[in-house]
Amino acid sequence: MSLYILEGLKPWVVQRVSAVYITLFLFYSFYCSINIDVVSYEHWRDWLFHPFNSITFGLFVVAVLFHAWVGMRDVILDYIHNIMLRMFFLAMIVGVLVGCGLWVIRILLFSMVG
Amino acid sequence: MEKATSKGRRPVYLNLFKIRLPIAGVVSLAHRGSGVLMFLAMPFIVYLLDLSVQSGESFEQAVSILQHPVLVVVQILFIWALAHHLFAGIRFLLIDADIGIEKKPASMAAWLVMLLTASVVIVALIGMLL
Repeated sequence: MSLYILEGLKPWVVQRVSAVYITLFLFYSFYCSINIDVVSYEHWRDWLFHPFNSITFGLFVVAVLFHAWVGMRDVILDYIHNIMLRMFFLAMIVGVLVGCGLWVIRILLFSMVG
Repeated sequence: MEKATSKGRRPVYLNLFKIRLPIAGVVSLAHRGSGVLMFLAMPFIVYLLDLSVQSGESFEQAVSILQHPVLVVVQILFIWALAHHLFAGIRFLLIDADIGIEKKPASMAAWLVMLLTASVVIVALIGMLL
């Protein structure tokens, strides 16, 4: 397989690898919530800021951002053919995703101590 | 530039009301739609995450935002989108692994996706109303 072929395959691989991780994390967090009746503020913080959970959650957010990028990119490339509009929408999507990512980093880093 | 000459002469007939989409097509289309919906919800979810960890008061604020009647409907829509995207996505991964690609298993799996999604939505609805 030449590097050129691998290049074209990259988004496809990113989409699937992130999908598998997202699925695993969703099932894990669902499993954690099974026996909980009402979520309290303390419980929720304890869960999220537990080292294992905050790290796997951080990876989950990264996976979601990449997954959403490939998915939204595919949608735009399929339906928007005007090159300027395409660039506009793709830039908007990148903006939203990067913004959300930075926001989550801020939440995870600064709320942990507070 | 976009309008290549051969493209312009091709006969196009795309009356969406006359296309009978098979169930696998419905699942595929809904997989797209649910993905776009969740993308649009993303900033709002991060906002709720922020509120939920800041302080006890802001946690309560996030809970009360979610209890607003309009947002109860939005939440059901979101739960539908998440469940459908998840189950349909698992089906697509299995298809990538050559599992369920024959016509009959493929459409049966598509029905199973619809059924599982519907049950998740119903359970969520019951949970929210009780």
